[in-house]
Amino acid sequence: MTALLTLVQWLSPAFPTGAFAYSHGLERGIAAGDVSDAASFREWLRNILHHGAGWQDAVLLSQALAPAADHDALDALARALAPSAERLQEGLEQGAALARMVSGLTGRALPPRMLPVAVGEAAAPLALPRGQVAQLFLQNFAGNLTTIATRHVPLGQTEGQAILSRLLPEIEALGTRAATASLGDLGGCALAADLAAFQHETQDVRVFRT
Amino acid sequence: MTAHFAPRIERSHGVARLGFGCMRGRTRLEALRQEGSAKAFVHPGASGPEVVFLNTSGGLTGGDRLAFGLRLGAGCRVTATTQTAERAYRSAGGVARVTVEHEVGAGAHLDWLPQETILFEGAALERVTTVRLEAGASCLLLEAVVLGRAAMGEVLRRVHLNDRRQVLRDGRPVLVEPLRLGDAGLVAGRGVLGAARAFASLALVAEGAEARVEAVRAVLDEPGVAAGASGFDGKLTVRLMAADGWPLRRQILRVLGVLRDGPLPRVWQM
Repeated sequence: MTALLTLVQWLSPAFPTGAFAYSHGLERGIAAGDVSDAASFREWLRNILHHGAGWQDAVLLSQALAPAADHDALDALARALAPSAERLQEGLEQGAALARMVSGLTGRALPPRMLPVAVGEAAAPLALPRGQVAQLFLQNFAGNLTTIATRHVPLGQTEGQAILSRLLPEIEALGTRAATASLGDLGGCALAADLAAFQHETQDVRVFRT
Repeated sequence: MTAHFAPRIERSHGVARLGFGCMRGRTRLEALRQEGSAKAFVHPGASGPEVVFLNTSGGLTGGDRLAFGLRLGAGCRVTATTQTAERAYRSAGGVARVTVEHEVGAGAHLDWLPQETILFEGAALERVTTVRLEAGASCLLLEAVVLGRAAMGEVLRRVHLNDRRQVLRDGRPVLVEPLRLGDAGLVAGRGVLGAARAFASLALVAEGAEARVEAVRAVLDEPGVAAGASGFDGKLTVRLMAADGWPLRRQILRVLGVLRDGPLPRVWQM
């Protein structure tokens, strides 16, 4: 089956959604000294995966994969969940780019939506297990932040990839849980990471859009 | 400070709901329902009535039920708050459930500015705050949470907070903040709480709200508070984090000073 390979292509850093431009507040975390080495980056990343956008987006994605999903309603919810302008921007811009590319490749009409909803809507016909889609999505999200941290903290390349490797069991478990979660399970407390996204808006020197 | 120990509280139940209407530019109380441990007082304010809700049970614990609600007719302006900080004490079983439901009619405006919620060790609180806006309606919302009292050396290890805030306009969600904080979150680290033990979120949901962001950013310099403001999509959102409740409160007052006309409700004056 090419379904899995198709999804991996869509989620890969080579797929032109511009993921590399969005640090999800990490650039601010690095500038403020909250993320300064491998241990602090690992903590930051784990906090976001378990208590922040990682879990939240995995739940939204899983809901968007459901056969009777109401993608308009899920997209409205995803927008309302964005706590700040840049968090809305990173979801909308990447989601729109992904929908545009998958539309071009498949001929399906996919409207621009927040990223997790866009991925769910695009991937639904692939008929992959929801948990697997959520796991790959989270791995890609964590991998992008790891690449940013490796270059900008900076970390050694092996050091950065080792952090990601050791998080794979947790990413696997989160994706599995998200597959059976309901919208009532949304929620988190990554308050400091959220605040970093707010403060990034007024940061003087910025390489990343968020 | 006797409040350090949870008082023996029977399971309490309280409902307070008020309705306001607007006649010739004046906002008037039209309906009032109070049951159990919930009370509400209405005072005349500089920019419309001020409502002060009170939970006479003295705090929340497992099994308690508390509901506050306001209905604002078209064109009304109301400021509402709570008499004291809401304390959530150790639960001996079950969770305390608080439901806040406000309806804001066409062109009306609500300031919902409850005082902070203080969580004690073992507290279990689930709260849902829903604000329904009709066309052209707007609201300013505040939620502040203090984890124990740092000044008394309290360090929380067990807590269950499920605090969902949602603003709907014509039934569609425009702002949803589902805060979930449990034992793991308390010790998760720098992306969650870091060293903060008090935090707040403010949101102005109104046409043109984003234009106020620079005025708010200009006052986000209270010592001991990490802060950020963002303006987008008819919203102005502000997040604050601090080591304890007092600097947080000072910063909240300064933000409210920018976002509100007239003096703050008396209970908020320091």
